[in-house]
Amino acid sequence: MYMDSARDVPSGGFNFDNCRRNAALLQGGFKPPTTTKTGTTIVGIIYKDGVILGADTRATEGPIVSDKNCAKIHYLADNIYCCGAGTAADTETTTDLISSQLELHRLNTERQVPVVCANNMLKQMLFRYQGHISAALVLGGVDKYGPHIYCIHPHGSADKLPYATMGSGSLAAMAVFESRWKPDLSEEEGKVLVRDAIASGIFNDLGSGSNVDLCVIRKDSTEYLRNYELANKKGERQLNYSFKKGSTPILHTTIKDLQITERVHVVPMEIS
Amino acid sequence: MNSLGIEQFPDYKVPGVQHVDFHPYESNGGSVVAIAGDDFVVIAADTRLSSGYTIHSRDQSKLFQMSSRTVLGSTGCWCDTLSLTGLVKLRMQMYEHTHLKTMTTDAVAQMLSIIMYNRRFFPYYVSNILAGLDKDGKGVVYSYDPIGHCERATYRAGGTAGSLLQPVLDNQIGYKNQNVPADQLPKLTKERAVAVASDTFISAAERDIYTGDSVLINIITKDGIEEKTLQLRKD
Amino acid sequence: MGPDYDFTDTPVSTGTTIMAVEFDGGVVIGADSRTSSGAYVANRVTDKLTQISDKIYCCRSGSAADTQAIADIVAYSLNYHRNQTNKEPLVWEAASEFRNYCYNYRDSLLAGIIVAGWDEERGGQVYSVPLGGMLTHEACTIGGSGSSFIYGFVREHYREGMPKEECVDFVKKAVQHAIFHDGSSGGVVRIGIITKDGIERRLFYNTESGESTIVGSESFVN
Repeated sequence: MYMDSARDVPSGGFNFDNCRRNAALLQGGFKPPTTTKTGTTIVGIIYKDGVILGADTRATEGPIVSDKNCAKIHYLADNIYCCGAGTAADTETTTDLISSQLELHRLNTERQVPVVCANNMLKQMLFRYQGHISAALVLGGVDKYGPHIYCIHPHGSADKLPYATMGSGSLAAMAVFESRWKPDLSEEEGKVLVRDAIASGIFNDLGSGSNVDLCVIRKDSTEYLRNYELANKKGERQLNYSFKKGSTPILHTTIKDLQITERVHVVPMEIS
Repeated sequence: MNSLGIEQFPDYKVPGVQHVDFHPYESNGGSVVAIAGDDFVVIAADTRLSSGYTIHSRDQSKLFQMSSRTVLGSTGCWCDTLSLTGLVKLRMQMYEHTHLKTMTTDAVAQMLSIIMYNRRFFPYYVSNILAGLDKDGKGVVYSYDPIGHCERATYRAGGTAGSLLQPVLDNQIGYKNQNVPADQLPKLTKERAVAVASDTFISAAERDIYTGDSVLINIITKDGIEEKTLQLRKD
Repeated sequence: MGPDYDFTDTPVSTGTTIMAVEFDGGVVIGADSRTSSGAYVANRVTDKLTQISDKIYCCRSGSAADTQAIADIVAYSLNYHRNQTNKEPLVWEAASEFRNYCYNYRDSLLAGIIVAGWDEERGGQVYSVPLGGMLTHEACTIGGSGSSFIYGFVREHYREGMPKEECVDFVKKAVQHAIFHDGSSGGVVRIGIITKDGIERRLFYNTESGESTIVGSESFVN
C-alpha cells in the first residue's frame, strides 16, 4: 500500500469540519436543511410476563409525511428493543451503535446483557453530546432480574418506570396509561392497552399516524409484531391515473455501444 | 423588529426574564380545490381544523355559500377567515339593499380583493378561493393571496396542501405535459371534476398532516348548489 | 404547541424539593418525586434519593441529565476506591468529589446536590453542594426550587438534637409544604433514614387516605 493513501482513511466519530462554515452561513441567513423528524408516539409497559413496546409508523418533514410506514422499534439485543423518537437519523444510528457494542459485550462476558447496561450506554452517549443528538428513547427488555422499561431523554437523563411514553403523541398515550394501566396485566390485556395508547397518539396527534407496531418481549422469547394493526386504510380513488404510452414526448434518441475493456495486472507472490 | 423592543436596549435586559412576543396569527390548516367547467363549478375543502400538532375539529366546513351561485373557500388563520367572510357577507347584504339585486360572482371577486387590500399592512392571514357562475352562467374560479391579489382561473388549489394539489390539477384538468392530441383527452364533465377533486384530497391526506378527516364538495350549477361529503384518513 | 415546539427538545429538570437533617446516629433525607420537562410531568414517581455507596446517598436537584451523570461517576469512583483500599468511603470524600465536578464544570452544569450518609469516622453527616460548586457542612439543609417556600418553616421548627422519628416527621412536613406551594415539586414524599445499619426507606402518598390509588403498584413505586 502507498503511504499517501492512508490520508483518505477516515478517523472514527463525528466530523466537525464544517461547523464554523455552517455557523457563518447561518449568520448570513442561510438556514440548514431540515431533518426528518419522527413526530412520534412511542410507548412501553411492563406486564405480567415481560414488556410490550409500541410505536406508530409516521415520519415527518415539517408538515409533510416523509414515510408512511417506517419502523421505530429498533433491535438492540435478542432480549432488548428500543423505540426511538426525535430526529430519525439520530435514533437510527444511536440504536445501531449501541446494538453493536452490546453484542461485543455479550461475546466478551459470555452472558446475556442486562437491560441496565443498554440504558447506561445510551444515557452516557447522549449526555456526552449534551442534547445535540435528538434521540428520545423508550428502552425495554427482559433479563435475569426481570422486566424493565427505561425512558431516556435527549440530554441523557433516564427514568425507570413501569409504563412510559415519548414523542409528540406522548401526552395522548400517557392519558390512556394513566387511566388504565395496572400491575400484572395479562399479555392480551397488555397488547390491547398498548394498541389503544398508540391509536390515541395516531388519531389525536398530527405528528403521529399510519399503523401500529408492537414488540412483545417475554422471559425467553421475543415477538416483533410489525404492522400489528393497520389503523388507517388509504382512500379508494375513483379515476385511473395511468398514462397512455407516448404521453411523454421523445425529444431525441441517441444509442451508444458500451465497450468494456479489462486490464489484468500481474503481481508477483511474496516469498518469505 | 420593534424599534422600542427590549433588544434595542441590551443594558435593560434582566437575566431569567422571558420576553413574550405578540403572535397575532396562527395557521389552522386545511386545503381548498376549485374546478370550473362550462356550466358548472366544483369547489371542495377538507373539514379538519388544527393548530400545531393538535386537531381542534374534524367537522368544520371551510366553504361559505355567499349567494346561490357563489361559494368562497377559505383557509389559513381561522379567526381571520370568520372575520373576513362575515364582512363580505355584510357588504353583500348592503349591496343587495342598495341596488336591489344579488352581487354577481365577478363583483364579489372584485370586492373581496378590495377588502383584503384594505388591510395591506396587517393582512388577513387567509388563502381564499372563490368559485361561482359568472353573469353568463359560465363556471369561474378566483384565487387570492393574503393581501388581495386576485387572479381568474379555471382550476386552482390552495391551503396547506395547495402546493401538492396544484400540479395534479395542472396535469389532470389543464392537461399539462401530456403529449396527447386534444380530441383524445377526456372532456371536463361535472362528474370528472368531482372525481378529480375527491381523488386529489385522498392523496393530499396521505402526505399533508393538516389535511384529513373528510371533504365537503359543493357543485354549483344554474339549478343551485349540490353538496357531497367524502370520508378521509383520520390520522 | 406545534411542529416547532417539541417538549422532547426541552431539557428535563428536577424542579425539586430536597432536604437532609442530621440526628444522633444518622441522617434523614427527603425529596418529592416530580420530574418535569417544561409544563409536562415526565415522571411522577422519580427517586431523587440516589445511592452512591452502601451508606452514602445524594439528593439531586437541577438538570436530571447532569445530576444523574455526576452521581453515576461519583458512585463509580467511590466503588473503585472501596475495592482498592478495602475501606468504606467517607461521606466527606463523596461530598468533596461532588464538589470537584460541580465546581470544575460549573459553566456547563445545572446541579444542586445534597450529599448525606453515615461513616465510621464522623457518624451521620449532611453536606450541601449548591449551584456554583461550593461545599458546606450543614446539620440541616434544604435545596431545589421548592426549598424557597419552606425556609421559614425550617427556621421555625428545626431544633438541634431531634430524635430520629421527630426528624422524619419534620422532613415529611417540610417537603409536603413545599409540594403544596411549588408547582414544579409534587407527587409523593420519599424519605430515607441512613444509620450504621444502612438505609431504611419510607414513602408517604399525598392522598386523603395516605394510601396509593393504584392497587398493587407498591413494587414499582418503592
